[in-house]
Amino acid sequence: MAAGPASLVDLLRESARRFPERPAILQRGAAVSYGELWRGVCRAANALRVGGLAPGERVALLIENSPGYVMAYYAVLQAGGVAVGLNTAMRGAELARNVAHCAANALIAMPGHPELPALMAARGTLRQIVTTPATAVSTAAAGRAVPAGAIAWHDWLAAVDESDVSAAVDSCAPASIIYTSGTTGDPRGVTLTHRNLVANTQSILAYLGLRETDRIVNVLPFYYSYGNSVLHTHLAAGASLLLENSLTYPHLVVQSMANERATGFSGVPATFALLLQRVPLADHDLSSLRYLTQAGGAMAPALTRRLRAALPAARLFVMYGQTEATARISYLPPERLDDKLGTVGIGIPGVAIEVQDAQGRRVAAGVEGEVCVRGDNVMLGYWENPAATAKVLRDGWLRTGDLGRLDEEGFLTLVGRSSDMIKTGAHRVSPLEIEEIVLELAGVAECAAVGVADPILGEVVRVCVVAAEGAGLEPRTVQAHCRNRLAVYKVPKEVVFVATLPKTASGKVRRFMLKEAG
Amino acid sequence: MSAAEQVRQYILENFLFSTDTSLLGLDESFLERGLIDSTGMLEVILFLEESFGVKVGDNEMVPENLDSVNRIAAFLERKKV
Repeated sequence: MAAGPASLVDLLRESARRFPERPAILQRGAAVSYGELWRGVCRAANALRVGGLAPGERVALLIENSPGYVMAYYAVLQAGGVAVGLNTAMRGAELARNVAHCAANALIAMPGHPELPALMAARGTLRQIVTTPATAVSTAAAGRAVPAGAIAWHDWLAAVDESDVSAAVDSCAPASIIYTSGTTGDPRGVTLTHRNLVANTQSILAYLGLRETDRIVNVLPFYYSYGNSVLHTHLAAGASLLLENSLTYPHLVVQSMANERATGFSGVPATFALLLQRVPLADHDLSSLRYLTQAGGAMAPALTRRLRAALPAARLFVMYGQTEATARISYLPPERLDDKLGTVGIGIPGVAIEVQDAQGRRVAAGVEGEVCVRGDNVMLGYWENPAATAKVLRDGWLRTGDLGRLDEEGFLTLVGRSSDMIKTGAHRVSPLEIEEIVLELAGVAECAAVGVADPILGEVVRVCVVAAEGAGLEPRTVQAHCRNRLAVYKVPKEVVFVATLPKTASGKVRRFMLKEAG
Repeated sequence: MSAAEQVRQYILENFLFSTDTSLLGLDESFLERGLIDSTGMLEVILFLEESFGVKVGDNEMVPENLDSVNRIAAFLERKKV
């Protein structure tokens, strides 16, 4: 190639040219080869164009990990659109809020998604609504009819051909929006450019050393940045992704790794905690595993040691990242794992890390401050939210909100967060979003949500409620209300009734005190 | 109360925060409903072990045994033998 790849589409096209017969995506015994994937992408891109999608318009995806998701995502980029992967665990109102915020012009959804009717009812700016093939998605979607007002994938593609009509791509233009924890009044749609995605993909490839013979068992949702990067890096390498969409039965995931001779596996700390707790790994032949990656929050050194002891032959990459930095910021080279255990390593190729004080000045090695990042991986900003963008993008640096320190060799140790964000499993939850919903309940005078320690998930949501006099509220009433309005992982595991909320002189809730209560 | 009803009541109270039995069919798949995640399943197993005196082996943690109220009830029945 004369010029470097302008977008992820160029990387996929190259893999399809080199490895047309190799399996790209495997799920439930069925495989989609690189050649098939590429033809599907081109065709769907042409259908999007014929349907009226103009460059820069948004296409929302409501699809669990599946070949359909991958085809739809790359088709949107190929057509010059902006892919918005929606969190499939969200409820109708949460989804509608994100779709409305980015004014999506098209929606590609799995037909059986329980919230699809609600989302279609709130149609808004959506002009095209397409459902992916039921058989290629999940058992949940199997056999479900295409809802009225939507067009089925095969009918949608029937009128177009597979010609590779590549839009001229401005690598600095938006390619994708990933909604992270936000609230109605303060939505956080992380807007990534083509360059962001390509740069981060290539940096990760450089240190992971993925090859076309690699085969990863993937449990991470593609709509989050970690899963998104696992997808793009493996496709760029011509490797195979074997999709397992649920960790509810961890034993089956490990069985799949053994049966398929997986060479790689990626997880968040909760994933590894669960596998180590529930599955006797020694009973399975996992000798093919060549690499393990861990991100999505700091993993306790004790858990890292247990993981290494259980799978000594696999190289373990401890990593750190943020959606605002596309996905990846740093990695700990496996050969330094022993002497740098507890750190999240060094900046990935092309990414600079600095620890700064509140005034944005670099602090010396060993001094704690805010972790700041610069590189081609740093987002364009939050979609249509300049105030939030200005807070985190300053003087060419991304202020991560994470607190840490660098050592003399540039290895980063995270020591905490400056934000109140709750991290539960692979999810980030804004306490404000939960409070907004709990306050809707009659009888709730005040409330505050915090994360409290959990042995597997890292944190779970606790909400402290001040009830109005005679309100007669029960924990279950609060939980049931949240269950109706929020994704399952945001529903408080604990509801604690308190007489008052501890506050500062200026009236701000002292959240850390609520973490200890109860 | 039958084992199936006990299980349904537990799932309703702990995952749907309700006692309304119409909210959960005996054959409805927990996976399809998105009702029980990985840690939720650990809670369900703990409940089964404590309430029914059974031991759920790692190899028995499969959807065939655990993915609906009726499947759990049938699994408990088999465990008794």
